[in-house]
Amino acid sequence: MAFQRLDLGHGIGLRTKHFPQFDSEPSPADWVEVVTENFMAEGGRPIALLEKVRRDTPVVLHGVSLSIGSTDPLSARYLDDLDRLVARIEPAMVTDHLCWGTWRGRYVHDLLPLPYTEETLAHVSSRVASLQDRLGRQILLENPSSYMAYRDSTMTEWEFLAALSLRADCGILLDVNNVYVSANNLGFDPIEYLNGIPPDRVGQFHLAGHSDKGNYLLDTHDAPVPPPVWELYREALRRFGRVPTLVEWDDRIPPLVELVAESRHAEDVEMEELGSVLRSLAS
Amino acid sequence: MTLTETQARVHEAITSGAELARVRIEGCVADTPVLSARESLEIYANMYLCRLVRALQETFPNLARHLGDESFASLAERYLRRHPSEHHDVGQVGRLLPNFLRQNPDPERPWLRDLAELEWARNEIFFAPAPRSVAAGALAAIPLESADRARLVLSPAMQVLVLEHAVTSFWEASADGNHPAPPKAGRSPAAVWRSGFQVHHCPLQADEALALEMARHGESLGRVCATFADREDPSAAASGAIASWFAEGWVVGVESAGIERT
Repeated sequence: MAFQRLDLGHGIGLRTKHFPQFDSEPSPADWVEVVTENFMAEGGRPIALLEKVRRDTPVVLHGVSLSIGSTDPLSARYLDDLDRLVARIEPAMVTDHLCWGTWRGRYVHDLLPLPYTEETLAHVSSRVASLQDRLGRQILLENPSSYMAYRDSTMTEWEFLAALSLRADCGILLDVNNVYVSANNLGFDPIEYLNGIPPDRVGQFHLAGHSDKGNYLLDTHDAPVPPPVWELYREALRRFGRVPTLVEWDDRIPPLVELVAESRHAEDVEMEELGSVLRSLAS
Repeated sequence: MTLTETQARVHEAITSGAELARVRIEGCVADTPVLSARESLEIYANMYLCRLVRALQETFPNLARHLGDESFASLAERYLRRHPSEHHDVGQVGRLLPNFLRQNPDPERPWLRDLAELEWARNEIFFAPAPRSVAAGALAAIPLESADRARLVLSPAMQVLVLEHAVTSFWEASADGNHPAPPKAGRSPAAVWRSGFQVHHCPLQADEALALEMARHGESLGRVCATFADREDPSAAASGAIASWFAEGWVVGVESAGIERT
């Protein structure tokens, strides 16, 4: 089967700090992303606001606790909550991470990397396929930022993601910042990573800031997108074309106007790289 | 090593804090050009605790403020070793902290458990479903002869707490950035509720707290009103209390003889 990329434009995260503005003004971005688990409660301000925003803006659900790579069974409680939220919001996309984060029902609340082996590929593929059957839609999985590699891995992360997307027939959420962070920490070439990802499977880009911890980079989402990540974004645009793009900012969140400006800058970069192609398509 | 074995060992290494657990998995983790296997595991172990301590700080802001960063982190670590997160929402990780403080009281500050209970209730109420409240007129529509048998349906976005220390005013002073005196010991019922998207709390008289609990459990209006019997003017006290419940939006329905009026 094919993966259908949507033409959503440029989005931003809907975070608590900006609730008052989203409550009183139209959405300043083409679409918004929310952390799925933060909106699973049946009542309260978050879900009420999300329903309001959804009336005129596409919403993307971005999960952090699905734990698709865990050897625990997928949580029935989680899946029930996800079903209910998807039915309530009718999101443009349902996304999560290529990772694991549970053991015997206990949540680490982190996006732990997987050993990239045939065993893991078979395990994750079957779980993605069963989840997609349940939801009646394709999901997208995001490459994690990594600080650890396993000796058992028999393939690279990009080889694994490419194979997974084809075997499970799912999309790829390509986090450009995570590629950059992991490349630095694990010692691979980020361009080789991009070249190994099948273009027709990429349904969304993420951009974010990170922190330099001296000998490694930490994916902190607490700063503007740094120049090397913008450069890698340009490479990604040249390889994958126009892809819905989100600027993530989850800590030390700036005023909304600053976040929107970062998103608009991503739009400008996209236009610089793809402008002639986009203009010819429009004419 | 199978995927299951790998995950068991990595999980233990990250969450237990035990040196031996890290040694058991180090052989499976590769050194990278910038990180040794040990450093890789330490990054994840540190992030595990930091993330959950921070989630607890957000849920219990005034408990954290009172204890200070170091003391709160120490409490959080002891709690998390005993009660690791079992819910996909990290905001639920503090669900058992009030009980943990009840079972492991601070001998000099036994009121910490009540402060934690109040803050957890405020957190639950923030996310509770809130059906539309009804006006007191719904009660007036019930025929006088069956009023005693009517039942009030209370909002799920309202809770009654029975605390053992008067922490409600302590919470307010602390939230304002002050350093209030320790709360006094003594049975201290309180109501926590949401109005719009704002969470509120207030102290309650013991009989009003009992009346609300009885209403919550479906007791008739007659029995609910009877809890005010010890007041100087029981009828005025009952009608005044019930009028305030409607005014605050705590009542979302009135049922009489099997007919619900909302």
